[in-house]
Amino acid sequence: MAPPASRQGLVLQTCALSKHFGGVQAVNGVDLAVPPGDLRAIIGPNGAGKTTLFNLITGDIAHDTGHIYFAGEEVSGLPPQRLCRRGLGRTFQITSIFRRLTALENVQTAFLSYHRRHFNILVPARRLYRDEALGLLERVGLREQATKPSGILAHGDQRRLELAIALASAPRLLLLDEPTAGMAPRERHEIMALVARIAGDTGLTVVFTEHDMDVVFAVAQRITVLHQGTVLAEGAPAEVRANGEVQRVYLGQAR
Amino acid sequence: MSPRSWLAFVVVALAVAPLVLPSFFLQLLTEIAIVGLFATAFNLLMGFGGMVSFGHAAYFALGAYTAALLVKRVGVPLLAALPAAPLVAAAGALLFGFFIVRLSHTYFAMLSLAFAQIVFTVIFKWKALTGGDDGLLDVWPPSLLKSPAAYYYFTLIIVGLCILALHAIVDSPFGYALKAVRENPRRARYIGIDVRRHQLAAFVISGAFSGVAGGLFAFYNGSVFPDFAYFTKSFEPLVVALLGGVQSFFGPLAGAFGFKILEWMISRQWPVYWPLFLGAIVVVVIVVLPSGFVGLVGGRRWRRRPAAKA
Repeated sequence: MAPPASRQGLVLQTCALSKHFGGVQAVNGVDLAVPPGDLRAIIGPNGAGKTTLFNLITGDIAHDTGHIYFAGEEVSGLPPQRLCRRGLGRTFQITSIFRRLTALENVQTAFLSYHRRHFNILVPARRLYRDEALGLLERVGLREQATKPSGILAHGDQRRLELAIALASAPRLLLLDEPTAGMAPRERHEIMALVARIAGDTGLTVVFTEHDMDVVFAVAQRITVLHQGTVLAEGAPAEVRANGEVQRVYLGQAR
Repeated sequence: MSPRSWLAFVVVALAVAPLVLPSFFLQLLTEIAIVGLFATAFNLLMGFGGMVSFGHAAYFALGAYTAALLVKRVGVPLLAALPAAPLVAAAGALLFGFFIVRLSHTYFAMLSLAFAQIVFTVIFKWKALTGGDDGLLDVWPPSLLKSPAAYYYFTLIIVGLCILALHAIVDSPFGYALKAVRENPRRARYIGIDVRRHQLAAFVISGAFSGVAGGLFAFYNGSVFPDFAYFTKSFEPLVVALLGGVQSFFGPLAGAFGFKILEWMISRQWPVYWPLFLGAIVVVVIVVLPSGFVGLVGGRRWRRRPAAKA
């Protein structure tokens, strides 16, 4: 099914998307429209439905009602691996990497899968996409750590590695669920600046959730505020900051 | 010694063994090679895919019975019967694995066990075809391969080729993706891997090589019995792999060697008490040597890490 004509050209769109867990309406009629090249922050208090919204979009869990369109096509109900093939990448709030593989192998495996060679049993994998993987590790600042088991890397480096893994699939849209979770303030700005730089260079569209408002207002082009599963406000950073209701339910208490 | 020099040493020692060893030990080495292949195939799932099967005897038995039935009932020669063993075992692994990989952890293990018990029961009850409890006797290789030394070399070549193939699979893109699935199925999905399909493919490959081991064992043993599919047989590769070291590709081979040598030494002295000793050995190895026998001989040492949750 095609999305409503007025919304063609969007990278991501959700229409009246809802999900409840038992009696809790985690996501309640969310309409989201993300144009290409956007660097979109989704903010809101804990329990606002940010991660659930991500899980619905990426096919991790099934939604109750509503529609999800990715690059102009309905993708409701597609599992994560199919969405990855269509160009949807993601990182998780809790770092999700292949811990007993080296950083290089982590990224190489993502490349192997992206190039659909992950069923090949006839050639050694060691040299395949090695240069590409090293290049990507260089990009996120992990070139020196390439041959270490990723499980022993510092927390911040693991977050960077997860970003590199997601980027290896050449996504058009990247969902970052609290990419700076657990990082020191300076490192947070670094990694988000990196994300913004990569997005700018490659035309990648990024949607991220974040609790650090300094980071959000420093990098986001637009901000969507979620509250109790619904969109409370949306707009440019200055508009959102000036919104009285947003200040009342979120910004006020966060500062 | 480096891994490479270890390998060279082992290959040379195995090649000259028939010149110095009496035939009893050649038979023991033949059995070690077969069990080693079975455990290495099993460990493709456990060590590299993170899937613990409690029912791998099913595929060993399918291979053994396929080879034996073709020779006994159809009258084809060994060299034609043996290649059929992995095919039938792989078909069984595809059929059962389709359901098994839908589950994880304990449920995965229990369903694999249940399917193996079904195989056992079918073999046990289908007397007209399988001979039931009496098994199939006189399943000997042709006269050319009948001497212990000849069948030893024959087994060594087949097992060697299978081990090389499995080693190549572990190092291939498929193997990388399999390790990724083991480490973190969710992340694997998010790089585009269909986790169940990958697990099923690994299951079928593992089943096929287990079938080769079963086929070789049928001719080594000269007969096949329903307890090839019994759950006690399913625990053999598990114990062997644990003893040798599941984190290492060659661990199960080392484990097969240690297991069979210890079994021979101990049951020679105290025939009844082998299970008691085996239990004690498994406990000691798991507590003192979590990386198995291979942890003793240098190379890559693995420490047990705190269970890392992704």
